[in-house]
Amino acid sequence: MSTAAQRFLHDAAEKSADLMHREIIRRGMDSYDAAHLKGRARIKDWEAARQKCQEIKREAVNHLDRYLLQFEEKVTARGGHVFWAANGEEACAYVTNLATRLGVRTVVKSKSMVTEEIHLTPALEKAGIKVWETDLGEFIVQLREEPPYHIVTPAMHLNRGQIAKLFREKLDPAITTDDPVELMAVARRKLREAFFAAEMGISGANFLVADAGVIAISTNEGNGRLCTSVPRIHVVVTGIEKVIPRLEDLAVLWPVLATSGTGQGITTYGTLIGGPRRRGEADGPEEFHVVLVDNGRSQLLADAEQREVLHCIRCGACLNICPVFRHVGGHTYGTTYPGPIGSVLTPHLNGIKEFQHLSYASSLCGACTSVCPVKIDLHHHLLQNRRNAVSAGANKPSERWMFRAWRYAMLRPQSYELGGWAMRKALRLIYRLGLAGSAFDPMQVWNCYRAPVPLPVESFRAQWRKSVRSNGDSAT
Amino acid sequence: MPTEKVQTDNPSRERVLGRIRAGLRTAVVEPTALDRGRVIFEPVSDPLERFQRECVANLMECALTVDCAASARELAQVLQSLPAGEIFVQDDPSLRRLIEMAASAAVSGRPIRWSSQGAPAEASQATLTLAEVLIAQTGSVLVTAACGGRGASVVAPCHIIYAHVAQLVPNLATALGRISQQRIFDHNSFACVISGSSRTADIEKILVQGAHGPRRLVVILQSGS
Repeated sequence: MSTAAQRFLHDAAEKSADLMHREIIRRGMDSYDAAHLKGRARIKDWEAARQKCQEIKREAVNHLDRYLLQFEEKVTARGGHVFWAANGEEACAYVTNLATRLGVRTVVKSKSMVTEEIHLTPALEKAGIKVWETDLGEFIVQLREEPPYHIVTPAMHLNRGQIAKLFREKLDPAITTDDPVELMAVARRKLREAFFAAEMGISGANFLVADAGVIAISTNEGNGRLCTSVPRIHVVVTGIEKVIPRLEDLAVLWPVLATSGTGQGITTYGTLIGGPRRRGEADGPEEFHVVLVDNGRSQLLADAEQREVLHCIRCGACLNICPVFRHVGGHTYGTTYPGPIGSVLTPHLNGIKEFQHLSYASSLCGACTSVCPVKIDLHHHLLQNRRNAVSAGANKPSERWMFRAWRYAMLRPQSYELGGWAMRKALRLIYRLGLAGSAFDPMQVWNCYRAPVPLPVESFRAQWRKSVRSNGDSAT
Repeated sequence: MPTEKVQTDNPSRERVLGRIRAGLRTAVVEPTALDRGRVIFEPVSDPLERFQRECVANLMECALTVDCAASARELAQVLQSLPAGEIFVQDDPSLRRLIEMAASAAVSGRPIRWSSQGAPAEASQATLTLAEVLIAQTGSVLVTAACGGRGASVVAPCHIIYAHVAQLVPNLATALGRISQQRIFDHNSFACVISGSSRTADIEKILVQGAHGPRRLVVILQSGS
């Protein structure tokens, strides 16, 4: 079986050469870039806004226990349930048992990356429960039986023609149009039936507001609203790091999240829910459950360098700007969270040995850090993960040997010179034999896609010595 | 409908809290705090003008009226433009009066379901509710469960809000501050800041208005009594 790193390299090479994929992503990102810049211009002092958001999240994460307990206290006082899950299995078991106990046959879900992370849908389906993803993008990727491509726009790798074909095959053979308005109408009709048939709605939460004891969900389509209004049970599945201290913090977090996520000034629905339907209210679920998922997050708190990774508000801005993401696409990462934040986070959540290669899926250009609305120093964290992998002995023995040899040579100029001479000779021979880019070529990784860089006739050292000799004292 | 404090079987609660506390014992060096003098958002000088401008940007309809009679005429016009079918109305004296005044042409023959009778039907053509406040900065309306419930602002293809200019607040911070001051969540399980009609851009980033919620969001904004 191939490793995650081998799969990554294979898929990255394939996707980079997929011209249709490149075109779809280029168009999508162009449109995001324009909206994002326009959105940022609406905020008078963008840098101050980022700093404010960073401070809010830092305060929350640095007092995580206190704010989570405050949130729990408020929610339970209103008749809601708060369940603490140490890992994904516990969270899935809680939701599945609850659904089974309450006779749930159909679940409607609004977008939640945490439920992807813990594989909640397969767990519910195993218990014989039908699960409908109701965000249009999520619905599309669910029909295609694939994971979300992007944390904000799950189906951005598909064009309207592909989506129309999918709908024709899976929903209605009579669909003739590929107009996005019509395609949305088809999904709306289909999902309306699900909303009104479902006994349970599952949502994520963008924020857990400690002082008010409410969850905050940002959605544009209204599917999150229906999931949390119509079914008789509402379950929120979210990470422990989503808590924020005060309701007023949303006055800056909401606009910044919307701007970074889609370029909007504010998301259409900023929904706040504090518990089950109260006596006298016209509608709303009778049961309200919040599942707080740890699943490795608390370990990050102990990491003095990378605790701030828990500040992430999952806006997707770092994915959008990343030159690597734009070329290899979201699915290539093979992780729940793709792009720079995923490359930083996944080794912590799923193991540094298997996912250390993601730290190298970056040119360290720092574009991700420059757009992050909570100022996470993403590219330095990628560098730290590289170091951590080496310290933990997770790198390949061949790499270790190579660096040992390099270190040896660097400390002994004559050995270095000899090595350089031998390498030039060897490469010249290999290139002459037409083996550039083959398995015999030490520069294979570079040369398999490119013409070899011409080899110099003599080393830099030799050139320097000559120059010193010809210029006499002036060159020294 | 439970309102009593409930007990949840929580075998991992202490373990998770323990891990969090253990993690937080690690000291982290942090950068300096924000210079308090910096202004993040441009102050709103004319809330009404700003609200109307933002409504246009949010693809909402905002009709400014001078009195109750004009609001009723506006409501009648909106209702006439909709297909036949039931409408859902928040059971509030001001809305009962407005419906009576709009009466005849628009409402006759159209069944009305009041929020006191329960949730809006899936097939409702429109919902009519009040709002708690209007937010100028973002062109938003804040509704709570008291505004006809949760479905009242999302189930029908058209949501009509009857509001007064005096309900305008300059920005989000003021609106959220009011939720805290008035302890809205002591009496409501739900609140929502709505900024336009339901929408999606999940297909090729092309904006489609009217996703799962209303295609039209109409604010009848009255300035006089």
